[in-house]
Amino acid sequence: MDLSLVTFAQILVAVLAIIGLMVANAVVMVYVERKAAGFIQRRPGPYEVGPWGTIQAICDSMKLLAKQIFVPANVDWVLFFLAPVLAFFPVLLLFLPIPFGPYLTGLAVPDGIVLILAFAGFGVLSNLFAGWASNNKYGLLGAARAVSQSVAYEIPLILALLAIIFQTGSLSLTEIVEAQGSYPWQWNILVQPLAFFIYLVSLVGETNRAPFDLPEAESELTAGFHTEYSGMGFALFFLSEYANMLLVSFVCATFFLGGYKGPFLDGIWWTFIKAYLIMFFIVWIRWTFPRVRFDQLLNINWKWLLPLGLINLWITAIIVKLLP
Amino acid sequence: MIRAIWDNLKGLYSLLVGMKITLIFLFSPQKTVHYPRKTVERENLITYRGPLELTRGKTDPAVTRCISCQMCVKACPGHCLTVVKNPEKSVKAPIEWKYDFTLCCLCGACVETCPTSALAFSHRIYLVARTREELIFDLLADLKARVEETPVLPGEEGASAEAAQG
Repeated sequence: MDLSLVTFAQILVAVLAIIGLMVANAVVMVYVERKAAGFIQRRPGPYEVGPWGTIQAICDSMKLLAKQIFVPANVDWVLFFLAPVLAFFPVLLLFLPIPFGPYLTGLAVPDGIVLILAFAGFGVLSNLFAGWASNNKYGLLGAARAVSQSVAYEIPLILALLAIIFQTGSLSLTEIVEAQGSYPWQWNILVQPLAFFIYLVSLVGETNRAPFDLPEAESELTAGFHTEYSGMGFALFFLSEYANMLLVSFVCATFFLGGYKGPFLDGIWWTFIKAYLIMFFIVWIRWTFPRVRFDQLLNINWKWLLPLGLINLWITAIIVKLLP
Repeated sequence: MIRAIWDNLKGLYSLLVGMKITLIFLFSPQKTVHYPRKTVERENLITYRGPLELTRGKTDPAVTRCISCQMCVKACPGHCLTVVKNPEKSVKAPIEWKYDFTLCCLCGACVETCPTSALAFSHRIYLVARTREELIFDLLADLKARVEETPVLPGEEGASAEAAQG
């Protein structure tokens, strides 16, 4: 690929649009999540700030912007300030290869999913840096949990995606969408239901969301790896958490739910509808299930998801080889 | 192995049941009372244990059932009750009944120990005071004021008529 001026401009516009999408997504999802939590517990959720509490999330982000950044004693300064930045910036890159619409892709790289899976590892690294550098026992425990959990859940996640990649014969997200049809019975979810289920469980584990939110388990570790962060440091972790949720939802929509293809008219709206349905699913299970214990979390992964993923991949490989 | 798989499938089914419950709750009406704009109705407050009050008398509701036996004063761990006997020995009713709510821990020892059930918890949930002195209640005056405000309690018309006849 030649890095011409046009490509450079394209990347610049895409990154700016992605920053806008990330911030808008975080503001909207915080409001939606708190409202959903309220309705599930039969209370109104945010209600007083603005009509039906609509500007509550904006006021909260203003508060975070204006807050003092408090640095505790004996922190590792470089890693302490590197961690939130390292959590935030790789996510910008991760959105580039996603096909939002038939012609709307930030940067159509041929091996898009490899780029996403490779750079998603920076999130784990930033959690480890944050927990280690803040010189706090809760932070360190949270970081240790984050690393073992994310490393474990990446494997079934990749196995589930590999089954689709075997079937399509391509690593490009656009080609994977093109291989699926416009109607729900032509999507990969019906061909690979087990892979979809494994991916759905692993994405919750990979984004550290409840019921697998052990790295930031409030009742055990105060806030886990971001205990010592205030102000914008915390806000960057928060933004990147919601951006990661959105990313795995987009990847799920692309791989299993036909991406931008849908009944009546293909387009960007179908990608967003599908991704936000999965986001709502993540919020829904957060307010339904209690947090699992750490041994249960790893047992689910190593004893069930990993063998199931391997069997699924093996059967897929045989069928792809025998029935071309 | 087959047992473990079956157990896990049952577990997955129970997860779906839980998700169905939260989905139904998501669309059911809310239970919250928006306090400054709305208040809780009296029927939902009968389990609320607020500051003490003297119960209405059996024959005349404005006269307390208290016999100045001082059992509540001895039982109180916070020393918040003051009951002054009538100097005339023939009259059992107290002449002064002071209750310091700033010291009360709402333990209910006085209510349990009272031989004539003259004490009870009120349901005053929206109690506001700006000074300490406002929280030292004169319960005899409070009883008189309550009886003047509502001579017959709602839902007790028949019972009080029977008591008057008997």
